[in-house]
Amino acid sequence: MADFQTSTHRAKWIFTPNELVEKYKVSNQRAIKMLKEYGSTRIEVSADGSLSYPEPQLDATKVEKRSHTKPLSIEDEQLMRVFYEQKIQEVCLAFGFPQKIQGTAIIYFKRFYLQWSVMEHHPKNIMLTCIYASCKIEENHVSAEELGKGIQQDHQVILNNEMLVLQSLGFDLIVYAPYRSIEGFVDDIEDFCQANDQLEMLKDLKETAKLEVDRILLTDAPLLFPPGQLALAALRRSNEVHGVLDFERYLGSIISRQQSMHTSSELIESLNLIYSLLVKLKMPSSDDMKPIDRKLRYCLDPSLQDDKKREKRSKHKSKKSSSEKHGLPSSTPS
Amino acid sequence: MGEGGGNSRNNNNNNSNRPAWLQQYDLIGKIGEGTYGLVFLAKIKSQPNRGKSIAIKKFKQSKDGDGVSPTAIREIMLLREINHENVVKLVNVHINSSDMSLYLAFDYAEHDLYEIIRHHREKVNQSINQYSVKSMLWQLLNGLNYLHSNWIIHRDLKPSNILVMGEGDEQGVVKIADFGLARIYQAPLKPLSENGVVVTIWYRAPELLLGAKHYTSAVDMWAVGCIFAELLTLKPLFQGVEVKATPNPFQLDQLDKIFKVLGHPTPEKWPTLVNLPHWQTDQQHIQGRKYENPGLYSVVHLSQKSPAYDLLSKMLEYDPRKRITAAQALEHEYFRIDPLPGRNALVPCQPGEKIVNYPARPVDTTTDFEGSTSVQPPQPVSSGNAMSGSGVPPMVAARPLPRNMPPMAGMQRMPGPGMSAYNLASQAAMGGGMNPGGIPMQRGAGGQPHQQQQLRRKDPGMGMPGYPPQKSRRF
Repeated sequence: MADFQTSTHRAKWIFTPNELVEKYKVSNQRAIKMLKEYGSTRIEVSADGSLSYPEPQLDATKVEKRSHTKPLSIEDEQLMRVFYEQKIQEVCLAFGFPQKIQGTAIIYFKRFYLQWSVMEHHPKNIMLTCIYASCKIEENHVSAEELGKGIQQDHQVILNNEMLVLQSLGFDLIVYAPYRSIEGFVDDIEDFCQANDQLEMLKDLKETAKLEVDRILLTDAPLLFPPGQLALAALRRSNEVHGVLDFERYLGSIISRQQSMHTSSELIESLNLIYSLLVKLKMPSSDDMKPIDRKLRYCLDPSLQDDKKREKRSKHKSKKSSSEKHGLPSSTPS
Repeated sequence: MGEGGGNSRNNNNNNSNRPAWLQQYDLIGKIGEGTYGLVFLAKIKSQPNRGKSIAIKKFKQSKDGDGVSPTAIREIMLLREINHENVVKLVNVHINSSDMSLYLAFDYAEHDLYEIIRHHREKVNQSINQYSVKSMLWQLLNGLNYLHSNWIIHRDLKPSNILVMGEGDEQGVVKIADFGLARIYQAPLKPLSENGVVVTIWYRAPELLLGAKHYTSAVDMWAVGCIFAELLTLKPLFQGVEVKATPNPFQLDQLDKIFKVLGHPTPEKWPTLVNLPHWQTDQQHIQGRKYENPGLYSVVHLSQKSPAYDLLSKMLEYDPRKRITAAQALEHEYFRIDPLPGRNALVPCQPGEKIVNYPARPVDTTTDFEGSTSVQPPQPVSSGNAMSGSGVPPMVAARPLPRNMPPMAGMQRMPGPGMSAYNLASQAAMGGGMNPGGIPMQRGAGGQPHQQQQLRRKDPGMGMPGYPPQKSRRF
């Protein structure tokens, strides 16, 4: 659908900052509560797509012991999401998928974790399923097997989670990534500048802006602003590098042409907010992830902690490999 | 959702394999069947829409073991964004988590153009009145204009996909249905053949028959032209014999039927013709034949000067770039002269006009919901209570079941029905924080796969000489 104005994207998936904070809080607290009451947060998705929740812990002492398992904080979850969103970009790049596949997959991933905590569904699995779903929707069909093979992951995990992901997205599957908007704005800028001799510069402007969009997609901005504004924010950043046009004047011209509901200052404020989200964006490294990932492993499977108490630390290695055998996350996702 | 479960089952139809969500409906029977799966008629059991008819479209599982059917996904994703009086309304999506199949619930339409045309041809022996033809055509174009302006091409328009509402507040309103092949065309579209899809050739545009690689909205307008002619004459306009071979064989007979009526296309009138693959490679066949005295007007019994003929011939323009668009067609003079088109296409406003009572859609009550006979003994099923209001995913009182995932501590499978519903109508709740508990989480006795013993009902259209089986009739 080309009409963003009447889309489910606009109607249901653009939030206020407070709404986002609240959503992240709710799912984080739900997972923490589950950890306390049931000793584990893991919701198992089986081959038929059904979910199993941890069973209530009848043995009070066990629960007592396990209540020492540290849950992930909201900030941990945030970092972990960004980490796996980066992974989505890496995987899509490795497969040579078009940019929109990557954009759609990341937006799916973000929407999914508005409903769930990373403690409930491991982001590694969800990341793969989001890429898979994005390929299906964008008519770039890749079989789950192919996808799994390419990154040495069990493709059954992708298929098991597919229905869960589609449902969590409310089947609102048409999303508007900002890449297309950039194309449109750059064409428009070409007219605006009457820049026949600047085609090279416009190309640079566009390419840098697309790289900026890649980074913007890692922030909360896609859940807060429409794709057009994300694209403009990226172009403004890009223009700071290339100095192709007077951007304020260009924004003014857009406003005047569109008889939009926004005033120029409102638009600039939005772009500034997107900019500040970009500045605040922390790109977690694998090392940053280690302590969070350890916490997550214990949340998902507290028996690891029980084992730890029993076993010597020297056995850590073999335990880790056995956990991997069961499809549990490893601390350094590929 | 999923309420009314427990051990008491729907006693209207004692099938134990019914999914839990189905209990919000009274299942009446099967009303259609196609390559995509089956369509059932059901009625809503409880208020506020008690007794309202719903068509439930069941998609077959994809065979290749590659997850949820892409056709189903595509149809849902488009329908989620669409909202127009002349487009069928998706009211619900249900999921069977035991076999990953999807069920789409639509507002039910009692009639479709295929049945209406057939009724006139076989029972009434009289053409459809001008008011009805014009009203149906106008509404079809109105819906299509909406789709096209939203960059959606339908690609499979044919009389059986054009529904008409029966009695009720929407009586006689036309609804375009079946978006399984529809596409957004902001991106270049792959040819259908690449997706391994076969559609009826009678309504296929000449550029596609000649091997055009990409679809434009003009292919839908060609189909509308064919449907318009069929509404007038009660006979398919171009009844070619389909060559069945894969992938996407050259349909010479279909082109032959078109040329016989419309004459030979020429590069003068259709400049891009020379670029079409089959035009070049099949010179001998296509360009070699001679077609005399084209006479569309005589086939459809219209005066060459009539606005109806003018509109029809503009829809059947060879060059897709010159073919009339839906928006232009709505402005055509044909719709400005008496009788003017109306909202209730079935009941003419003018007094004295005879009202045709179309028969209700035939319902096959012998096929059960799974499309097979039940082979499973009744089993108790616990209720899913999927849409719990609390922030914590609902925990159904666990029954002891053998653990089949030994390494997982503290895990247990939830017993329960294999299905849960996902109510699109309650989507408003999603913005405010959809409860993940609304996700189906049960599997169990209810949705066991069982032997497929298809009781295929012969389609009423099949008996008609010259009519190929309407394999892909949509409800």
